[in-house]
Amino acid sequence: MATTETNILNRLYFVAGCMFVFALAVVFKLCTIQFIDGDKYRAMAQKRSIKPFDIPANRGNVYSADGSLLATSIPKYNIAIDAVTSSDKNFKKYIKPLCDSLAVFTGKSSGSIEQKIKKARNTKDQYLLLLKNLSYSEFIRVRNFPLFELGSIRGGFVYDQITKREHPMGGIAERSIGYERIDENGYATRVGIDGAFGKDYLRGENGRRLKQRIGKGEWKPIRDANEIEPKNGLDIYTTIDVNIQDIAHHSLLGQLEKYEAEHGCVVVMDVKTGEIKAISNLGRNKSGTYYERLNYAVGESHEPGSTFKVMAMMAALEDKVIDTSTVVDTKNGRKMFYGRPINDSGAGHGKISAAKALEVSSNIGLATIIDDNYKNNPEKFLKRLRAWRLDKTLGVSIIGEGKPVIPKPGDKIWSRNALPSMAYGYNMQLTPLQTLAFYNAIANDGQLIKPRFLRAVKEFDREEEVFDKEVLVNKICSDNTLAKIKDILKNIVIRGTGERLYSETFSMAGKTGTARTDYANYEEWRKDRKYVSSFAGYFPAENPKYSCIVVIHKPSTKVGYYGADVSGPVFKRIAQKIYTDTPLIDEMQSVDYKNPEVVQDFEKFNSVSNTYKTIMPDLIGMPAMDAIAFLENMEVDVNVKLNGSGIIKSQSIAKNIKLKSNQTIVLEAS
Amino acid sequence: MIASAHSADKKVYEISRMSNEVKELRSAFVDGRSKLMRLKMESTIVKKVKEKGLEISTTPPRKIKIKAQE
Repeated sequence: MATTETNILNRLYFVAGCMFVFALAVVFKLCTIQFIDGDKYRAMAQKRSIKPFDIPANRGNVYSADGSLLATSIPKYNIAIDAVTSSDKNFKKYIKPLCDSLAVFTGKSSGSIEQKIKKARNTKDQYLLLLKNLSYSEFIRVRNFPLFELGSIRGGFVYDQITKREHPMGGIAERSIGYERIDENGYATRVGIDGAFGKDYLRGENGRRLKQRIGKGEWKPIRDANEIEPKNGLDIYTTIDVNIQDIAHHSLLGQLEKYEAEHGCVVVMDVKTGEIKAISNLGRNKSGTYYERLNYAVGESHEPGSTFKVMAMMAALEDKVIDTSTVVDTKNGRKMFYGRPINDSGAGHGKISAAKALEVSSNIGLATIIDDNYKNNPEKFLKRLRAWRLDKTLGVSIIGEGKPVIPKPGDKIWSRNALPSMAYGYNMQLTPLQTLAFYNAIANDGQLIKPRFLRAVKEFDREEEVFDKEVLVNKICSDNTLAKIKDILKNIVIRGTGERLYSETFSMAGKTGTARTDYANYEEWRKDRKYVSSFAGYFPAENPKYSCIVVIHKPSTKVGYYGADVSGPVFKRIAQKIYTDTPLIDEMQSVDYKNPEVVQDFEKFNSVSNTYKTIMPDLIGMPAMDAIAFLENMEVDVNVKLNGSGIIKSQSIAKNIKLKSNQTIVLEAS
Repeated sequence: MIASAHSADKKVYEISRMSNEVKELRSAFVDGRSKLMRLKMESTIVKKVKEKGLEISTTPPRKIKIKAQE
């Protein structure tokens, strides 16, 4: 028996031992999970329910000088349909009216939309994108379409909200206002003002906050405060004047359309401060309509043509190698320079003064002046141009400024012909903005200022940074030269190549330019002549306020190509607009003259009305008009009857009698 | 403890709903603003009043400024 007992006990010990070992293993595993791998698992748990969220900083706004919005970030909507979720009954009932509404909205045919949605339903597609980039009001409209108005579960209405950069002015100045776009690879495209100032001011810094998952796909912040507070971008105030911009844009557009030109630009600059008031760049697309394509004014260097004659002339005047009255022989419109002919348009001007040569824009005239005086020392001429910084970029804030080309001896494009060519703006390159800056310096008494686009950077109303004018060259030339060149520029519009732009009511000064372009293959060019028509100048001619340049590339020669015809009208329209917007002020001495008789009458009336409030006054001798006004203003209501007009002769109630309410008083007047 | 956690959750829903509303209102505002900007531009006005036979004045307005005598 005893042996059996031991047997059982032994077996019991074995089972207990096994259980003990098993328990030890459990404890061991528990400990490893808790203490050895604990950190790993805790991190894993946190990852699933706790997540850091980026809090996007709001990008700053771009404003015009007067505070109109030029660029801002707003939510836009993409609308899709979940074609599966709606019931058969609802789907059948509403699909047709929904497609009709969508057809009206998009202009596509109702049938094709219906087919697409039905196909999606058959293939169990839960996300069929229907509309993109809708504004809020459009979004609301679509949300109320049949079927969609049932909501997301019953109607299958799906939408995402995305933040987009919007330009409230639409296509106007779009390229200069610009944008900043960063693609998946981190490669940034930066256009215009928005692009140039994105990093420094507009962008702001994203914040971060830890959140814990709660129900319904929502996340709850763990702590009260954000781990990193987002810093909203700053607002920037540009120098753009919406009104001038509007006029510049539309008059440029009008001329481009009229002359079927390829592209063009216009820039208006404030003479004293260098602020860019308007900048418009329009290029043609394949279907022949124009839009803000590239920033030609800033980025495109090209041969300036005749607008450069002003610089050449000024160099010669400043070096005192000629005077405005120096006679130049322009022959009969054709002259050979080192085996190459230079032509003037028309039959030539013969022997004319240097000033006249610029007024009529004679290529031969300017080429002769420069070649005669600088051929032995071209460096002297080039030194002038360098002192005027024409060989350097202006360093404007917009990214992608075109580089000017001013050749010098030893360069590939330098030859004996280079100097006479440069005299009338060939064999060299400038951007429209560089030319404008130079003309602005003429208008600004010789001070060359950097064109600028920014006025201030603000955070709400607090100014973070204010930008002032930047002087590049304090005085480009003597006052004497300035006065002479200003005179010529004025005369160009009065009697020179800009004659057709002359207006009696307002003054302007400037230089036309008609340059050949794409002429490398001359035979080819002769078949299809391509020009660049420009006009640069300032207005009013005396005390200039604004300088302006208009450049139009490749107008249709069938319609016209001269700078004065193609580009000039844009310039004139802007000058006119600013002229008609600025009131003429007539100052006068005060007309506050006191007539003693009037004063006496007034005093009398006043004293009577102050004393007689319920008692009949003596009205005889008073003008009828005054008498009635007087009685009606009494403290008792009386009815007044007046016979005749003029001066009161008699009154039905004698003076000093107390008046009763509703009493009738008859007045006789002569 | 549980009650306050729930009320915090409720507030989170409320905040997300309201921030969506803010976005919508902002969008509506910019929408309206754009429309207004386009309408008040001189070129639009010129087009609109042309039908009524009005044109841009070629002479600027005159302003009479009176200097005080004192």
